[in-house]
Amino acid sequence: MIKKRWFSRSKVDAKSDGHKYFVRLNFNERVQHMIFLICFIVLAITGFMLKLPEDIVQKFGSARDIVFFYRGILHRTAGTIMILVSLYHVFYLLFKKAGRRWLLDMLPKFKDLTDMIGTMLYYLRIKDKHPEYDRFYYKQKLEYGALIAGATLMSLTGLLLWTEEMWPKFLLDIATIVHGMEAILACLAIMVWHMYEVHLRPRKFPIDNLWLTGVIEEEELREEFPLHYKKIMADPELKKVYLVPEHDEGDASLRT
Amino acid sequence: MRFYGLLAVKSLVLAVIFVILQVAIAPAQTDVVTDTENCLFCHRYPNMGRYDKSGNKRIYYVNEKLFASSVHGKLRCKSCHAGLDEIPHTNVKKVDCSSSCHIKEPSTGKEFSHANMVDKFRASVHGEGGGSKAKRYPEDLPSCKYCHDNPMYRAPRGVWGQSEALINETLARCMGCHTSSQWAERFYSHFTHRMRKRRSQEEIVALCTSCHEDQEKMARHGLESIGTYKDTFHWIQVQYGVKDAPDCISCHIPVGYSAHDIRPRTDRISPINMDNRVKTCSNQGGVQSCHPGATTQFATGRVHAYGMKAQLLARQNQSDFMEDESISLVIERAEKDLSKKELFHYKVLRLVKLFYKILIAFVIGSMLIHQGLDYVASKRQIKSR
Repeated sequence: MIKKRWFSRSKVDAKSDGHKYFVRLNFNERVQHMIFLICFIVLAITGFMLKLPEDIVQKFGSARDIVFFYRGILHRTAGTIMILVSLYHVFYLLFKKAGRRWLLDMLPKFKDLTDMIGTMLYYLRIKDKHPEYDRFYYKQKLEYGALIAGATLMSLTGLLLWTEEMWPKFLLDIATIVHGMEAILACLAIMVWHMYEVHLRPRKFPIDNLWLTGVIEEEELREEFPLHYKKIMADPELKKVYLVPEHDEGDASLRT
Repeated sequence: MRFYGLLAVKSLVLAVIFVILQVAIAPAQTDVVTDTENCLFCHRYPNMGRYDKSGNKRIYYVNEKLFASSVHGKLRCKSCHAGLDEIPHTNVKKVDCSSSCHIKEPSTGKEFSHANMVDKFRASVHGEGGGSKAKRYPEDLPSCKYCHDNPMYRAPRGVWGQSEALINETLARCMGCHTSSQWAERFYSHFTHRMRKRRSQEEIVALCTSCHEDQEKMARHGLESIGTYKDTFHWIQVQYGVKDAPDCISCHIPVGYSAHDIRPRTDRISPINMDNRVKTCSNQGGVQSCHPGATTQFATGRVHAYGMKAQLLARQNQSDFMEDESISLVIERAEKDLSKKELFHYKVLRLVKLFYKILIAFVIGSMLIHQGLDYVASKRQIKSR
């Protein structure tokens, strides 16, 4: 059972050590993330293959036309899957309980602006502590927003280019530029923003297992998302949703 | 008197030596080449050649076997090289491909000549033009041999490409009647070469760009470099060696057009004239189906990326460049070639690109700063604990 394996990773196994664990990403969300991630990598590789310099293309040798053929197939397959996952995500946000909660927590609020200013002050050593973040803080909201905007643009321009003969060439020229530049932006953003967040950040290095286990330690949650933590502890309903029961052998985080 | 006597003796001796050599050499001649003029008497020696005034080595050696299996293998040397009557050759004329070569063309029974091709070529963009339309730098223009670089010396290959076995089998059938293997091979090659493109797409692009990518040379004629082709998906496919990927001739010389008859895009006959674009993009009448569903809107768009012409026209202060004669020529042509709509499109595309460049620089730059600060703060926090 793949679910079991994903959930029985070290952190949840260590329940007996007395630590409490909280759900950050439920199973459904982790699957969405996983599919999106694989598609993203495939799309990036097969897409940027079109931008390779001549001498590197030559290194594919006589098989390079076959490489090119499968490049195209893979790019379109991954693109289609990514669009489907994105559409499912919209469905998830609107029609699933956990999705609606996600949507509400993700909506930008005035607090995000004050949080941002507060964080800057903290970075500049003017304040001692960073603001108390809720479930998602401004950086994650921005990244999520960028993801939605990027995925929409990439899907639209990608579909335009896929059905090129139906459109004026000028529109396709714009689509080509947007598709290419947006790809550069997305890849750089993922590298600078997301990869840092889950790999390079002190205490996360070499990798934050959250994307696989879906849970976060009590200590970490209290420190990183204090407001969220307080809200959970104050509300028995939220506790049911987020707190992994200490003696529960089953999949606590499966509850959505 | 004495002088004339000596001359007569010398001539006699030379003549005798010549005759002896002729007789001695004659049996050594192979039966491959019909060398009735005995040119191979000298030209069969591989070292034969000289350095010309520009210091280039000119090779005058003729490999008779290769020549014999070439398309021109049945021709006498003088059919193409006029004025070889004197030795040493002082009055040799340049080979003129439009001259008649005294071989009867079997369909008409008339003397064969490439004259019609040459005439077409002269009227095309690559021709020197005449009268008021005479080109200013004729030395830049390609000659026949520039593209037909060495079509004589090629082994028999054809539509069946590299398959020796298939070639042998087919040739064997020809040779049932045409018993001379040389003759059969030559005609086999001639026909089968015409059934496919001899050059690969990359070779075609390399051939055309050998001139057309030379910015300076192009500007002299009011043209821009076609490096702009290399910004297209067409070129990416060519680079990856995709079968049937579109090279220069796929669009500029599609089915029904001749490479010798390339016209400017403003010419109504030109395949890239706006009126003919749909036909060209969909490759009507061709074996290959390129963009079968091409609409007018799709086909009349820009194919190459916008290049120097658009750049120059988009500048406000063109007068700065007017001093440079060649650039003013490009601007002049650009004004004729580029419609207002195209210029507008160019400006929009440039804006979109600029917008993204700024966006990327801003977003990624601020992200880097943010993450850097975060890194320092996180380290500080860990330390303080």
